Amino acid sequence: MATKDAPVNNPMVDPVTGEYRVIAPGHTFKSVTEKVSRIVLTSHTPLGWWFGLLLAGSMAGLLLTAVTWLFLKGVGIWAITIPVAWGFAIINFVWWIGIGHAGTLISAILLLFKQGWRNSINRFAEAMTIFAVVCAGMFPLIHVGRPWLGYWLFPYPSTMNYWPQFRSPLVWDVFAVSTYATISVVFWYIGMIPDLGTLRDRSTSKLAQFTYGLLAVGWRGSVRHWVRYETASLLLAGLATPLVLSVHSVISLDFSVALMPGWHTTIFPPYFVAGAIYSGFAMVLTLAIPIRKFYHLEDLITIRHIDNMAKVMLATGLIVAYGYSTEIFMSWYSASHWEYFMMWNRMFGPMGWSYWVLITCNIALPQLMWLRKFRVNVGLMFLMSLIVNTGMWFERFVIVVTSLTRDYLPSSWGTYRATKWDYATFLGTLGLFTFLFLLFVRFLPMIPMSELRMMLPQAKVKELHGEPLPEAGD
Amino acid sequence: MNNNERSGFSDQRSEQSAELRAQSSGEAMTGSANGLVQIEAKKPTLADVRAKLANQKGKKFWRSIDELAETPEFAEMVAKEFPSQASEWIDPVSRRSFLKVMGASMALAGLAGCTKQPDEPIMPYIAAPEDLILGKPVYFASAFPFASGAVPVVVKSDSYRPIKVDGNPEHPYVRGGSDPLTQASLLDLYDPDRSQHILYRGETRTWPAFLAAFRSMLADKKPSGGQGLYFLSTTVTSPTLAAQWQQAQKNYPQAKFVQYEPVNRDSHYTAAKQAFGSFVDAQYRLDQADVIVSLDADFLGGATFPGFHKLARDYAQKRKLDGTDQMNRLYVVESVTTTTGFKAEHRLAVRPSEVAAFAAALASAVGAGGASGGNWTDHQTKYLQGLAADLKASAGKCVVIPGEFAAPSVHAAAFAINQALGNVGKTVVYTDPVNPMPSIQADDLKALVADMNAGKVDWLVILNANPIYSMPADLDFESAFNKVGTVVHLGSHWDETGEQAHWHINNAHYLEMWSDARAYDGTVSIVQPMIDPLYGGHNAHEIVQSMLEEPDVSAYDAVRGTWKDQLSKGDFEFSWRKALHDGWIDGTAYTPKTVTAKAGGIAASAPASGDSVEVAFRPDANVYDGRYANVGWMQEIPRPVTNLSWDNAALMSFATMEKYGLAENDAVEISVGGKKIVAGALAVPGQADGVVVVTLGQGRRHGRVAGGVGYNAYLIQQSGAPWMQSGASLRKTGDIYDICVTKSHHIDQRSVKAGGDGSWTHSIEGNESLDRGIIRYATLTEFKANPEFAHEGEGHDTPEPDDSMFPAYRYDKNAWGMSIDLNSCVGCNACVTACYAENNIPVVGRHQTKVGRIMQWIRIDTYFEGDLAAPRAHFQPMTCHHCENAPCEQVCPVGATVHSPEGLNLMVYNRCVGTRYCSNNCPYKVRRFNFLLYSDVYDWDNPTLALMRNPDVSVRSRGVMEKCSYCNQRIQEVKIAADKENREIRDGEIRTACQQACPTDAIIFGNINDKASRVAKAKTQERTYGVLADINTRPRTTYVAGVLNINEDLAKQLGEYST
Repeated sequence: MATKDAPVNNPMVDPVTGEYRVIAPGHTFKSVTEKVSRIVLTSHTPLGWWFGLLLAGSMAGLLLTAVTWLFLKGVGIWAITIPVAWGFAIINFVWWIGIGHAGTLISAILLLFKQGWRNSINRFAEAMTIFAVVCAGMFPLIHVGRPWLGYWLFPYPSTMNYWPQFRSPLVWDVFAVSTYATISVVFWYIGMIPDLGTLRDRSTSKLAQFTYGLLAVGWRGSVRHWVRYETASLLLAGLATPLVLSVHSVISLDFSVALMPGWHTTIFPPYFVAGAIYSGFAMVLTLAIPIRKFYHLEDLITIRHIDNMAKVMLATGLIVAYGYSTEIFMSWYSASHWEYFMMWNRMFGPMGWSYWVLITCNIALPQLMWLRKFRVNVGLMFLMSLIVNTGMWFERFVIVVTSLTRDYLPSSWGTYRATKWDYATFLGTLGLFTFLFLLFVRFLPMIPMSELRMMLPQAKVKELHGEPLPEAGD
Repeated sequence: MNNNERSGFSDQRSEQSAELRAQSSGEAMTGSANGLVQIEAKKPTLADVRAKLANQKGKKFWRSIDELAETPEFAEMVAKEFPSQASEWIDPVSRRSFLKVMGASMALAGLAGCTKQPDEPIMPYIAAPEDLILGKPVYFASAFPFASGAVPVVVKSDSYRPIKVDGNPEHPYVRGGSDPLTQASLLDLYDPDRSQHILYRGETRTWPAFLAAFRSMLADKKPSGGQGLYFLSTTVTSPTLAAQWQQAQKNYPQAKFVQYEPVNRDSHYTAAKQAFGSFVDAQYRLDQADVIVSLDADFLGGATFPGFHKLARDYAQKRKLDGTDQMNRLYVVESVTTTTGFKAEHRLAVRPSEVAAFAAALASAVGAGGASGGNWTDHQTKYLQGLAADLKASAGKCVVIPGEFAAPSVHAAAFAINQALGNVGKTVVYTDPVNPMPSIQADDLKALVADMNAGKVDWLVILNANPIYSMPADLDFESAFNKVGTVVHLGSHWDETGEQAHWHINNAHYLEMWSDARAYDGTVSIVQPMIDPLYGGHNAHEIVQSMLEEPDVSAYDAVRGTWKDQLSKGDFEFSWRKALHDGWIDGTAYTPKTVTAKAGGIAASAPASGDSVEVAFRPDANVYDGRYANVGWMQEIPRPVTNLSWDNAALMSFATMEKYGLAENDAVEISVGGKKIVAGALAVPGQADGVVVVTLGQGRRHGRVAGGVGYNAYLIQQSGAPWMQSGASLRKTGDIYDICVTKSHHIDQRSVKAGGDGSWTHSIEGNESLDRGIIRYATLTEFKANPEFAHEGEGHDTPEPDDSMFPAYRYDKNAWGMSIDLNSCVGCNACVTACYAENNIPVVGRHQTKVGRIMQWIRIDTYFEGDLAAPRAHFQPMTCHHCENAPCEQVCPVGATVHSPEGLNLMVYNRCVGTRYCSNNCPYKVRRFNFLLYSDVYDWDNPTLALMRNPDVSVRSRGVMEKCSYCNQRIQEVKIAADKENREIRDGEIRTACQQACPTDAIIFGNINDKASRVAKAKTQERTYGVLADINTRPRTTYVAGVLNINEDLAKQLGEYST
């Protein structure tokens, strides 16, 4: 997209294409490596990092407390009741797992589509996926009444010949989420091996050399290594790509398969996937914007990235909007009393406020992203990422809670009022997520150096029509 | 009652010696559960703690477990009371379990056992009692004594522990039905808060010590003929006790025996005395009545109304439309919304003070004398005229029933109307009173209080009453009480009166003692003990007997003595045993008396001005006058109509609420004659405007369950007019009182386009219940014109069995199903209470109930149709429908809820991991989840309550789903018996607990594959429909749609029923 409104002198704009550069000019192989690896290898840990870790750690401690109390007392410490037997736990589960999707999309689908700009952000997007899956995966376990028996959902050779009940979407979830977690971790790790080699070579302390050496599994950067590495990446990308679509589709079936009005709809799989990517990109932005500021990575994670992600959000946000409008249309067109009442109740019932929060956050405000000026404004985009994250959380709230409060039998209508333990658990997972993420940025290269190096002009000699190398010295 | 149980009866009969059975039951307890011994040993601790807790205001015990557990007193008591496992369970942060679980959560594995099952050594009998077959219950006939007439019962006894109380199926009065209070009397027996000692000024004493004091007093008073000795008793129900007192009176002619209980029959007896010259009871023969008129009589509301069981049964019998198209018609004129009112074809809400004038006007209109007066609105006039016309048209086949809480003039009017219309001897007969010592209780009480204030009362012996709590405020009983020399309190609980009395004697429960009582038809039943008194309690028979020449005659001998003549026509022993076995003494039913009501009875008082607020007083539907306030089931089970649980409230109409600027949950101060109470305001659809209804029985200070629940309405009650006060005032205090209701009714604020009716006066739940075909009904004319009405209309269709992804099940042999007749159901809650008792359902407390976690497996759904100022209501018992195409089964990931070959939807507790997906997917929302370890503090570890548990039903632990099983344990029991005898199961052999308890026979259960079975036949009725069957759940429980026999002319006049 042309950047006619960008300042002419802006060094971040490529004068040839008129687009924002993916990487700021002037970087060399060395400078990139230096910039990224220094964050990890420095012996000076920034005070801000410590502060963040303390904050996140105490929030994670809150989670530990909440879960301990939960295990001691039972799920009754939450607000769930009859009829609303699922609450924050399921909302959080779907929310977190949705967030994870952006990471897989960036690392797998954008790789297959040869979207080079993804290289700056794919590593931490993948880390985000893994940590989000950690947070998400915890919920199905802790939300059950008897968590110590959660393993009964797995098909294992029980001496009592018990077997899961495969008609239940919850069993499908087990497979979907565990597959997803496995592939994500493997993909992340494989992609990190060349960088771990770099860290091993550049580190000065014995411990770091040993650790990174171990993790680098003998990476020497030989051509054979690179060939196999590239092949493995492609294969894993191929494996992970269907997961982007399938995992959230399967999770949406938890609702679609049930017969509750508001759940029982076939549009859920595509609309959940779109929503997942929507919220995932929002979360990538929520993470990327402070990090690039804090670690001065504006050169590597540029306005171009933010602009691109905003566009993806805009697109997926519109798919989500289409999903919402289809629901509204079908509730009228189906001529089903249940659907009609459900939609009325969702909009104007006692919990109608949550629907309008959702519409405001997910549909109305994000239309601002049509404006280029908005998309390139880092502060506003950070705000927008938070808004979309909120909106997507409320989407799940509306689906799970509002649908359940008023279902078939009017005598059993109820309400839902979250308890302090619900909030503690949710905040706790935010803390755990941040905690893990801070550890990640401190100990692992958050930007893939090897892939970034490939994107430098120096690596693209042929594409530059044989121009001489701009500089030497690496 | 099948033959098997019969033989159980006779086996027991040969072992009828009370001592023997008591002895062996004692052994059983000590041997199997070492329960009783511990209770005995820990006595002082519990008492001390109670004393400490008594001073504490607000929430107590498991209404808010945590709060209480944190108090050191309670923690200490708990530790001592439940020494073995309790501390691990109740103390949430014992170091050991904390570390264990902490470790587990650290690892995020969650595999550590959080609910370790307690170790329970099983000790076998060394010498087993001869008649005991473990696991095989035996049944005994007895009777539940109640002021308005005893309920003849059959008690199920397992290993000598009574575990279930049900109506005696062969008794001509009760015919197997029961009511919530009868059912709950079981938990009353096992109430852990029952008094366990004889106390003198707070110190433990022995029974002989009391007797010594009592007899020395008697010796002193003998010369003066017992001057200064007074008894204050609840209504005497036992002929033996009455006989004992009459004998004692001979020795002590100056001693006085005053009966008083808050819910008394003064109105009726005053009017009867006036009209007939003697105390008589009125028995209504509703099986003969085509038109029934209730003048504020809640005769379908529960045992509180004399003769309820028979009235409800006869009423329902004439509404079954079973092979006939005739049914009765009910008119109710009422000042307090009741289930009776909502069952009526034509209901008129009036203010309490208008009832008397209305009754007089009705009497005048049907030509029964009296002056027609009163300022009636157009609507009321039309109603009155229509009603009078209908009554006159059905003279001799109609009946007017006056309410127990209506003024004597209403009773007098009813006597006159029934007489004028020739109903006497047909639909109403007069008999001797059931109460062996009938009296105008309020008058006697006032005389007693006067004597107390005058210092004439040396000794006051209080028998089973709690007067400090339950006296009308104007008598200031407490100050009179303090002027009495010595007060003896015989009571089941160390309650408000017990703590102030000098002597407190723990009373034996009726399941622990010998006595006798009359059912409302006069039939005498022997009350026989089912268990050795848990705490060695004593009873009124012993106290009165100790005044006689033979002071040591036991209650057993006294009762035998009373009926010696009656039973000595043949062999006394044989007749006695037969009476015990059958549950009643033949030939004791009252025969009708021929009495004529004198003309010119009591004049009706004029209605109070409509400007002031009238306060109507009623006993609580569940906790009655307060005596069942410590029974957890009764506190928790939602009251009919209001759905109040763990609370009482100031009940009023929406308009009244608006007039006084109140909203629901606002605290409102009610002032009557200078006395004040504060209650939460709650709107009740259909309540007459300008009336506030308050219910007695709450606001107790004592009892871990009862204490601190609700407000005490006795504090504004006046002895002169205990049921109604006009000229009250209301004031909004500005505080919020968060009332606990299990279901509220939101105003439908939808426009017509949005699916509503646009009126803003209807309940959205009510509107939706009709739109969704959950409630279907028709008038009799409509039904005759179109018998298939229940299957017509949108959403009333039932999909074919093939309309499913999954193949249909085949049921080759048995297929269990249920049919519930909505025309018969009167919403009395008997089924709900029976289900609690049968299925070991935990009580969860106020907070848990309020947030929606009540555990009831069967509930009475109440929908209000039409304008909430004058609605119709529909009651619908709702329980697991055992869908053939069950949504819950499909979504359980571990197969914990599965389909049985007989079509039961089974819940496998051990397999359940608690995802709760099944509950979400249940369109009927009948599944209940153990969100917390509900069975812990109150139920699981309590040695007393453990005795009450039905051994055939698991006590569920935390984290598992549960729901109605169609009483699977009963099905299996009968199946085994049938298998042994190599025969098919007979129809009617299996009865679910709800079916058994239902006084109106609204619930029918059986094998729907057997086309001759009652349930199969019930299901072939045209009116049968499945709730939500259009979503293809194919429910096994179906409903028979209601039919209303409306008075078409009147309906047209009043604009009711869209005519």
